[in-house]
Amino acid sequence: MTSVTSTVVRLKLSLLRNGLRQSGGRRAAFVFSAVAAVLFALAQLLGLLLLRGHAHADVAAVTGTAVLALGWAVLPLFFPSGDETLDPTRLVLLPLRPRPLIRSLLAASLLGIGPLFTLLILAGCVLAPAHGPAGYVVAPVALVLVLLSCVALARTVATANVRLLTSRKGRDLAVLSGLVIAVGAQAVNFGAQRLGSSGLGQLRPVADVLSWIPPASAVAAVRSASEGAYGTTLTQLALSALGLTLLLSTWSRVLTRLMTAPDGSTLQPADAGTRDRAGTGGLARLLPGGRIGTVMERSLRYIWRDPKTKAAWVTSLAIGLIVPVFNAVQGTGSVYFACFAAGMLGIQMYNQFGQDTSAFWMVATTISSPRDAHAELRGRALALLLIALPYSVLVTVVTSALLGAWSRLPEVLGLSLALLGAMLATGAWTSARFPYSIPQEGHKNIAAGQGSLAWISILGGMIAAALLCAPLIALTITLHVTAGGTTWTWLLLPTGTAYGTTLTCTGLRLSAPRTASRLPEILGAVSKG
Amino acid sequence: MTEAAVRVRGLWKRFGQQVAVGGIDLELPAGRFVGLVGPNGAGKTTTLSMVTGLLRPDEGTVEIAGHDVWRDPVAVKARIGVLPEGLRLFERLSGRELLAYSGRLRGLPGAEVDKRATQLLDVLDLAGAQHKLVVDYSTGMRKKIGLAAALLHNPEVLFLDEPFEGVDPVSAQTIRGVLERYTASGATVVFSSHVMELVESLCDWVAVLAAGRIRATGTLAEVRGAHPTLQAAFLELVGAHDRHTGSDLDWLGGGAVR
Repeated sequence: MTSVTSTVVRLKLSLLRNGLRQSGGRRAAFVFSAVAAVLFALAQLLGLLLLRGHAHADVAAVTGTAVLALGWAVLPLFFPSGDETLDPTRLVLLPLRPRPLIRSLLAASLLGIGPLFTLLILAGCVLAPAHGPAGYVVAPVALVLVLLSCVALARTVATANVRLLTSRKGRDLAVLSGLVIAVGAQAVNFGAQRLGSSGLGQLRPVADVLSWIPPASAVAAVRSASEGAYGTTLTQLALSALGLTLLLSTWSRVLTRLMTAPDGSTLQPADAGTRDRAGTGGLARLLPGGRIGTVMERSLRYIWRDPKTKAAWVTSLAIGLIVPVFNAVQGTGSVYFACFAAGMLGIQMYNQFGQDTSAFWMVATTISSPRDAHAELRGRALALLLIALPYSVLVTVVTSALLGAWSRLPEVLGLSLALLGAMLATGAWTSARFPYSIPQEGHKNIAAGQGSLAWISILGGMIAAALLCAPLIALTITLHVTAGGTTWTWLLLPTGTAYGTTLTCTGLRLSAPRTASRLPEILGAVSKG
Repeated sequence: MTEAAVRVRGLWKRFGQQVAVGGIDLELPAGRFVGLVGPNGAGKTTTLSMVTGLLRPDEGTVEIAGHDVWRDPVAVKARIGVLPEGLRLFERLSGRELLAYSGRLRGLPGAEVDKRATQLLDVLDLAGAQHKLVVDYSTGMRKKIGLAAALLHNPEVLFLDEPFEGVDPVSAQTIRGVLERYTASGATVVFSSHVMELVESLCDWVAVLAAGRIRATGTLAEVRGAHPTLQAAFLELVGAHDRHTGSDLDWLGGGAVR
């Protein structure tokens, strides 16, 4: 080990150790994820070993290797802050040549849970198709080639995108990555289910192609060697080695350019001002005037432009639709599940001022009376209703249509609107009473030390909203158990609408003086973290 | 003008055990360029936050143009402009949208807001970046757009917390020009800084703050006294004048190999 390599490896170890030393929670998370990853990898390893001798063992091994490599290529895009040594610009001032630097960074990358996880699975991948002495000779060579390729791939992608990853757009992307991963997991789940039902043989053509693409070709070489096709073995190994060499030279080139060229992220683009953002101007003209319209416009812009707000809204919209509709499609649902849409969107009214972050001071300096506070809250509630109202109606109609329960549409809609009204009312009140800060960076939505506050606010508010809706729920049940009552259930639509509106108006009116009198306290709470 | 723009009496703020502001009495004259100076951690930001109604004091009263900040917010908030330090703006709005938002929140008519915003963006050299999101602005540009938002409603008193911190010389000169024009018309600017040269060249009235207390107030000449510069007077006032820079660093300097 050269001195540079050992220094960088020790740096990586120190970073890991110091990260763990910061808090017990982080230590626990590390241990938990390490144990979980190792257990999962061991299960995969065992599964692959059990496949030995199976006709399609190599298909699983080759495809598995390709998926692993793909994972290594994609992950650094979503978790840029995971590894500080991933950002070579931190080493830019040190007098290092590219070659020793690459070697040491590669060595440092081999430390961690990820490489261990990969090593275990890869061991399964190379052992599954191996038999005969030639197979066992090639297997370790293939293992080393693939592991190095995976790590180099991650490094190259990360280095090539350092500018993106450290820019604002990259961080915005990272906040939305949770959603992408959730959707990706669904796709993988779907694919695995289909595979389970029709067998590995289906993947044979895919595996045949992958056998000639590095780094999976190294694993295919193990099978070729086991079958005595030494020419193919050498070609496939050479392909993998060539792939790794190309990867390393690309990385070296990108790294050199990154560390010698000036950082362009602070340079002003010459024509940045020419892009016209008049798109929302048309919408803005339809909004009411005065403070209410101004607040609505800002809130609506933030739903689209602020990554945290956007992620929260997309989640609410998705769950609000998925729960009632998927249940209805599977025939297990009730039409009352449609109220989920109103409930999920109503949650967005909670912690309104926390969503502003410390920019709330701009609001605070312009609220000088309960009347101003009332206009502020009404603007925010109206912006929310502009989306929540049509969406709740849509989800209710779709759910009723799927279940063929048209006769229940009015009462479900009435209940939805009452629930929405109750959520807006309790949301406004808890926004003023229990504000908490939402950190802008990373995946956390609550600042340290404010967890219980957030829970009181959301959980208490939702219980209160449910209690507020109790009279209407009681009325619904009464109408259903009373003989002939069901002919009058349409009454729940106007009743629910009126009730929800009254709740919202009362809630906003009660929250306004509380907001106006607690401005410094709210600002203090939402500026933490 | 003889009336005080800002009158502070017995202002206290504690954070846990630590006293951030320990009983400040202060009268800032109207129509002046007032500098609030002090070392880091002296309580400048805490004081300005309490004076502008962003932080509730433990004790004491603050009056701006004769109106109590906490009892008469309607009269006070319309009369002051604020540029805080360390707080965000609504950064996902473009510069122009931020001004439009801020002006309309204050109840100004839309057309008037747009007219003033155009002029402010022009004067502050932000016209080229007016459609860019504030989150992509540099530090200097953020200070300038914050200043524009604070000036939009033509306040009587403008409070600026470290308006020149991290600002490049060109932007600093622009900000200076706007502020000088603003005070020339009779308005009051109160700004905090720890750069004495800046305060000396800009302000005609100075309050020195250290460890949460006022050490000196008055015109520049009064505070400077017999000292050649404000810097020297300041170091004397906060008791850091005769601190030795250390004779142990005898190895430091050119010529030696290692």
